Amino acid sequence: MATNFREVIRALVDSGAEFIIIGGVAARAHGSARFTEDLDVVYRRSKENIDRIIQALKPYQPYLRGAPPNLPFEFDARTIQHGLNFTFTTSLGPLDLLGEVTGGGTYEDLLSHCVTYDFFGEDCLCLDLPTLIRVKRAAGRPKDFEAIAELEALVEEKTTGNDPTTSN
Amino acid sequence: MFETATEFEPDPVIEAYKKGIDRTLLRENLKLTVEERLKNLEALQEFAEELQKHLHKKDGHKLS
Repeated sequence: MATNFREVIRALVDSGAEFIIIGGVAARAHGSARFTEDLDVVYRRSKENIDRIIQALKPYQPYLRGAPPNLPFEFDARTIQHGLNFTFTTSLGPLDLLGEVTGGGTYEDLLSHCVTYDFFGEDCLCLDLPTLIRVKRAAGRPKDFEAIAELEALVEEKTTGNDPTTSN
Repeated sequence: MFETATEFEPDPVIEAYKKGIDRTLLRENLKLTVEERLKNLEALQEFAEELQKHLHKKDGHKLS
């Protein structure tokens, strides 16, 4: 099941949650032609923000992706505070909720490396293209090589060509 | 806090992958607004789901 990006983003924005869109959806916003099925966000790990995230996502029954069913998992503030990075399934599709990313750090670290884009009618923070490349490079996963190559090609196209939507 | 370089040290593996990138697709995408790029992603999702449904249905018929 692919993620209903529109609904997840709306739920997060409506709750006032502070988050940054990264990964394939951010790449797509920057001009990538690659398909992605899940949404990756970095969230601020303040108590208030964790409460907002819980309020936003609880109705969509987040559960640990790939875990056996019927574990005593509770999607609540205590669980999020005790963990850091979560890969969830939800009734709106897969969602990665990340407190920190390799090569990029926390929400606060990434904040000055974001652009604001309109995601399905909502103004959201999106990781900028150079930093997206940086974190993908830092992750060092072979499955990302093609995606990194495409993102770097996008940088080259933007510097030599004309992208009316961003100054990146 | 950190500084992000806007130019990256070329990685030979990434450079090799770059040769396979269809830049015409990127150029077409760059002509679109962010909203249009994301709408295209949604349309692709819908297409992929329809295709999967169709394939499951077809496999189901084969099995029965």
